[in-house]
Amino acid sequence: MRVPLNWLREYVAVDAPVEELADKLGTATCEVERIIRRGVADEDGNLGFYRVGLVLEAGKHPNADRLQLCRVDVGEGEPRQIVCGAWNFGAGATVAVALPGAVLPGGTRLEEAKLRGEVSRGMILSERELELGQDHTGILVLDEGPEPGTPLGDVFPLGEDVLEVETTPNRPDLLSVYGFAREVAALYRVDLSPLDLPRGQTPGPGQNEQVDVRVEDLEGCPRYIGRLFRDVRIGPSPPWLKARLVAGGMRPISNVVDVTNYVMQALGNPLHAFDLTKLGGERIVVRRAAPGETIRTLDGEVRHLEPSDLVIADASKPVALAGIMGSEDSEVDESTTSVLLEAANFEPIGILRSSERLGLRTEGSNRWEKGVDPYLAEPAANLASELIVDLSGARVTGETEVATELPERPVVAYRPQRADDLIGLSVEPNEQRQTLESLGFEVEAAADWQVTVPTWRARDVTREADVVEEVARFHLDEIPFTLPLRREMAGRLTREQRLRRLVEEVLLGCGCSEIYTSSLAASDPEAAAVRLPTPLTADQAVLRTTLLEGLVATAQRNLDAGNEGIRLFELARVYVPPADPRPDERWHVGAIVEGGLPRAKGTLETLLAALKVEPRFERTQEPFLHPGKAARLEGGWVGELHPERLEGNWGVFELDLPTVFARVPERLVYEDVITYPALRQDLAFAVAEDVAAGELVEAAREAAGPELRQMRPFDVYRGEQVGPGRKSIAFAVVYQSPERTLTDEDAAALRERIVKALAERFGAELRS
Amino acid sequence: MDPKALETEAQSAIAGAESPAELDEARIRYLGRKSELKQALRQVRDRESGMALNAVRESLEAAFAERERALRTAELEHVLAEESADVTLPGESIPRGHYHLLTQIRREVEDVFLGLGYEVVDGDEVEDTRHLFDALNMPLGHVTRSPLHTLFLNGDIVLRTETSASQIRVMESREPPVYMVSLGRVYRRDTADATHSPIFHQAEGLAVDRGITVADLKGTLLHFARALFGEEREVRFSTDFFPFTEPSLGMAVSCFICEGAGCRTCKFTGWIELLGSGLVDPNVLRNVGYDPEEVSGFAFGIGLERVAMLRHGVPDIRMFWENDLRFLGQF
Repeated sequence: MRVPLNWLREYVAVDAPVEELADKLGTATCEVERIIRRGVADEDGNLGFYRVGLVLEAGKHPNADRLQLCRVDVGEGEPRQIVCGAWNFGAGATVAVALPGAVLPGGTRLEEAKLRGEVSRGMILSERELELGQDHTGILVLDEGPEPGTPLGDVFPLGEDVLEVETTPNRPDLLSVYGFAREVAALYRVDLSPLDLPRGQTPGPGQNEQVDVRVEDLEGCPRYIGRLFRDVRIGPSPPWLKARLVAGGMRPISNVVDVTNYVMQALGNPLHAFDLTKLGGERIVVRRAAPGETIRTLDGEVRHLEPSDLVIADASKPVALAGIMGSEDSEVDESTTSVLLEAANFEPIGILRSSERLGLRTEGSNRWEKGVDPYLAEPAANLASELIVDLSGARVTGETEVATELPERPVVAYRPQRADDLIGLSVEPNEQRQTLESLGFEVEAAADWQVTVPTWRARDVTREADVVEEVARFHLDEIPFTLPLRREMAGRLTREQRLRRLVEEVLLGCGCSEIYTSSLAASDPEAAAVRLPTPLTADQAVLRTTLLEGLVATAQRNLDAGNEGIRLFELARVYVPPADPRPDERWHVGAIVEGGLPRAKGTLETLLAALKVEPRFERTQEPFLHPGKAARLEGGWVGELHPERLEGNWGVFELDLPTVFARVPERLVYEDVITYPALRQDLAFAVAEDVAAGELVEAAREAAGPELRQMRPFDVYRGEQVGPGRKSIAFAVVYQSPERTLTDEDAAALRERIVKALAERFGAELRS
Repeated sequence: MDPKALETEAQSAIAGAESPAELDEARIRYLGRKSELKQALRQVRDRESGMALNAVRESLEAAFAERERALRTAELEHVLAEESADVTLPGESIPRGHYHLLTQIRREVEDVFLGLGYEVVDGDEVEDTRHLFDALNMPLGHVTRSPLHTLFLNGDIVLRTETSASQIRVMESREPPVYMVSLGRVYRRDTADATHSPIFHQAEGLAVDRGITVADLKGTLLHFARALFGEEREVRFSTDFFPFTEPSLGMAVSCFICEGAGCRTCKFTGWIELLGSGLVDPNVLRNVGYDPEEVSGFAFGIGLERVAMLRHGVPDIRMFWENDLRFLGQF
């Protein structure tokens, strides 16, 4: 929304600098995105170079066929010779002239010049040069009246400051210049021009032409005012109106259409003008669309309507999508002489639904969908009538209104003390009252106040808290900075949150970098994974149940980027079906590292060691893993990525964290490994190729008991000495007791039990 | 023999020894088993000459020890001098991982509020419309409820559009006071571009207690803004609108790039819009069974990507999802 300040000042007399105005509105009302300076700059006397001129003579340039040579009276006694490229005027025309020294919009300074041998001491201006529109086919011809030499800025605003604002959806009243004037009036405590617009011209007694308006859906359209104009002459709007529309961000079209847009921008009530003769049966029916109906809207698109769409129809067909856009075939055009002006009120949600479904958002729909004050239709109709009569020479010949009872204004019980309690700042009741009254609220002050809400805020302000906001927003900068007393609460991370941080820290220490990948995937190995019925794109169709795909894709991307030493991990949720009604969201951690199974497993083991969880690995098969290098453990898997998935030698693992965390000890208890010395020896066993080291360790533990503190494989040897089909695994073995010093005899006995057990179960031979 | 003459001779031999080997030779000659001194000591009969010889021996032993230390020091110095390294060469390469930038910011936010006595709550990402919309006072016609904005799984199950639903679940589960932050992924039906991502991260805060005011909101968020952007920051509040807060306030922080001089980041205003906040709407309190006459509260929400992009000048939101190590490794 754009608020031109000259326009604003028509309703409220405030001459504060624009920056200050923007600042105050920005705090109390809505975001002011920027200040736009439109048109001719008002600096260093620049406006003085712009004058009304009267063309005294105009004829062909002696040396150029396309140029005119003019003599123009600009109020200096002596006329000026000006060369001009346009031909849409002649002697006697009143025109806009810029004199040498003028800085044009865009920043060029006009100089006296010689054009094809003739001096030009000024420039006759077109609309585009003044930023009044795009028309540069001819120059701007003004209505007769102003004397030559009159400052052009007295005829229409040459330039001005415009606030570009971003209003919030609860404030449809701010989608109008008048709405902003009301805020400014309240902020500066100055008067706002009243909106008691004259009724305007009315049909003579007994001459009221009946306009046939039927509203079949009073819920969708609680109010419809139709006004009929005859003898309309369609033409361009005068410069002042064009200047305002352009400043407001709209494009001038023709006088009648411009008036509807002007009134919408001024007051916030969108209007529509129909060519009466194009309405079948010269009738208006407000109804829901019939199945299969279509309409070709003003933008040339054919729209297929549904029975939920509210339309304005004539006797047989829709002529407008209510509140959104008119049809091409009922449009006002150059030949129109009878206009039916619609000033209505539409219910917001229906307009929002239709405009969203059709992907058609307009200035009108933007206002309706936020809820326009139904009381506004009449002043809007009055202002528009006055302007249409004024600008097009029309007569008002008929009027009609169909409406339900307009809603009552809400009355809210209010305690001024409550505002202080919630804001944390004491605002005098009298001050509160003045703020509210200047915004149009009526206050009846007893012990508790009764606050009557103005019609244009009736949707937004219905409760005491809403009134508190009206007071608070005018005092935001004065509110102090404090902290809550917080007597009963202490904050800390949960056990799971602390463990998740630990997981991240350990993996970081292992050289892995953390990645974030999408929870939505193209597909998932889990057939029952939760699918989005209407995904945004095909690769965001399923809620993932594994982190693997994100890890692989990210490794691939880094590989393609030429990065080296790639080690990545992600800690994120997966979404485990069934969704009854919601899936089980489980935190997983996964990692992918260059260096195959050993590096992945080493990383995983470091992580588990930090968590004090002892894993047990078993051979497994997964389609995405190397068939011979894949293991599972409680809550996860680890392995070498199947070489077809990614070039190189990659190790991967994934863990379900709740499963792993369940095994993390709550409390660590001191174990005495210091008082009595440990005995160390290396043992190597020759076994068949298919025997796993883990199985040997497990069996040894069973046989030797807790005095076998550690048995860690450190070498695997294959070769002549052990024979074909066999391998030798060397273990670093540590014996220790927390109760006594183990003797060599103790160690020998422990070793004997291990050797015997392994020989019996695996045919293992101790190698010397 | 003349002990004095022997001592003088030996001392000069010690001083003249240029290496441990030479010193050892001298030691054998003057203090060895067959040395003149040792033989004389063995033959000594009277106390006086014994004392004199022993004095010579002790003096020589001390001299040998000292000379040995001196020679060893010199030798070590020589070796060390030979071993000098180019200290500008890099050290051993030790692989080091990096937290994702968003995790770093997530933890900063968590830690600020842990310090203020708040809990950290992990809300679910898949939510029902009752918790995400109804309880948060979002009317049926609200734009966010449209499938054009929100990813629906079925009729009333959606991917959360903001973390706020976790507020509702916490408040439903217990009596006030509640002081919590909730951080995590949120989902919107947005096409990815430099500033939009269908998935992004939010941090959400809520304080509900007796006597919570707008002033408490301002003080808490000032502290928060300074923790994220520096102690010298100022904040500014402005009127805004959210269905779940009343009054609703936007907060801007003084520009930390230009310090108010005007730059592209602050659009030449000196202020950067940072977050939305407000007092919890009484309807929201009532929806979870709290009495708005008894307790009041404030809430706020902020995008973690926005913080990261502003603070670190990250130009494109998609970089957070691309995870290029050349990007990750910078933080």
